Amino acid sequence: MAYKPQYGPGTSIVAQNRRNQMNPSYKLKKLRDVTDEDVVLILGHRAPGAAYPSAHPPLAEQQEPADPMRKLVKPTEGAKAGDRVRYVQFADSMFNAPSQPYQRTYAEMYRFRAIDPGTLSGRQIVECRERDLDQYAKLLIETEMFDPATIGIRGATVHGHSLRLAEDGMMFDALQRCVLGEDGIVRYVKDQVGVPLDRAVEVGKPMDAKWLKEHSTIFHSLVGTALREDPEYIEYLQRIHTLRTKYGFMPKEE
Amino acid sequence: MPESAFPQCRIVPLRLLSPQTTEGLLNRVTGVSGVRRIVINGPGLPAIVPYGPARGQANPNTNRRTIQVCGAEFEMKVQTGTVTLEVEDESVITAVQEMCDAFFTKIPYTLQKGRRFMKSSPTLVDYAKYGPKANELIIGLVDPRKKDGPVIIPIPTRQEEGEDCQGISRQNIHQI
Repeated sequence: MAYKPQYGPGTSIVAQNRRNQMNPSYKLKKLRDVTDEDVVLILGHRAPGAAYPSAHPPLAEQQEPADPMRKLVKPTEGAKAGDRVRYVQFADSMFNAPSQPYQRTYAEMYRFRAIDPGTLSGRQIVECRERDLDQYAKLLIETEMFDPATIGIRGATVHGHSLRLAEDGMMFDALQRCVLGEDGIVRYVKDQVGVPLDRAVEVGKPMDAKWLKEHSTIFHSLVGTALREDPEYIEYLQRIHTLRTKYGFMPKEE
Repeated sequence: MPESAFPQCRIVPLRLLSPQTTEGLLNRVTGVSGVRRIVINGPGLPAIVPYGPARGQANPNTNRRTIQVCGAEFEMKVQTGTVTLEVEDESVITAVQEMCDAFFTKIPYTLQKGRRFMKSSPTLVDYAKYGPKANELIIGLVDPRKKDGPVIIPIPTRQEEGEDCQGISRQNIHQI
């Protein structure tokens, strides 16, 4: 019988959302449209329309040594062209943001190729070749893994994950990179490191509280689904905790 | 805790407050007679970008605007998270609670009481920083890392006492 990955334990909606995001055969729902130019503006690594700067000559022009691994592992488009390595970083509010730092890394490792994620408590950075990054960032912004109010694209000064939301429902941002307009649409007025943009970039309307609760990937006993409501998840966590604690004493499962 | 220390309480709304709401709240708070000192806590809103490639650039932020409380104008340097009050006696806390019940209609809030939320007497560090003749009213009000002092709002705290001073200070919470 062929191996079928489980992705994660749990019977709650949070557990199911986590599995959906990780499972590459699950098609993430597209909720908003951003253009390629919008993504380039928010990332701020190069001017829109400019050619991709390169870090080395294209692989086709290089004399590569004979190596069976190179035949097995095909390079991504960015690697083929010799693009620079650039990054996108997301800060996710613990108030039911649709994705969370660890979850992002798991999901991206299953879905994307040639990436180098860095996971922290309140933010997650992913590095890869610039050409690939534009595609990955676009997918992360357009789909159900993003919410304009509770997720921020922040390269620096990222504080906000663990803070209460503002009155208008936006996650705190010391640099106020995105602003909720009177028409209810969130617009990025600065790029991810805080440099003002020539034009505002629309990322759509914030999702409502009900949608966020149904699509969240974080357990939260006050505003979302509590971990104690998912006994299967608790059993899994306790098993991992027990085995980790006993590790070094030759643990044997009974 | 010294016996002479005044009671304190802390208003904690469920959301971080905008400058407009903060202005409304503080005007109501200063309207309650018997409030001695007020401290606003919350995450900082830097005037310039502090980190990263854009470091040093101006950081326009609609939440960093000037508000007016009982005629005194000052710029919000934090987004209001909590408002700590030092009051004359316990009956003022009850009045503050009634005021908050009427004010917070859209978002829930908690009024914490029964313990101390800011310094009420000078410590060794205050002595080193402000010297032996420091005004005790500013103890616990001013962020020691900031150069600006508290805002003094001249209002009568008790009708029979006439004019008194009420200090509002802003304090930064560090980024984690």
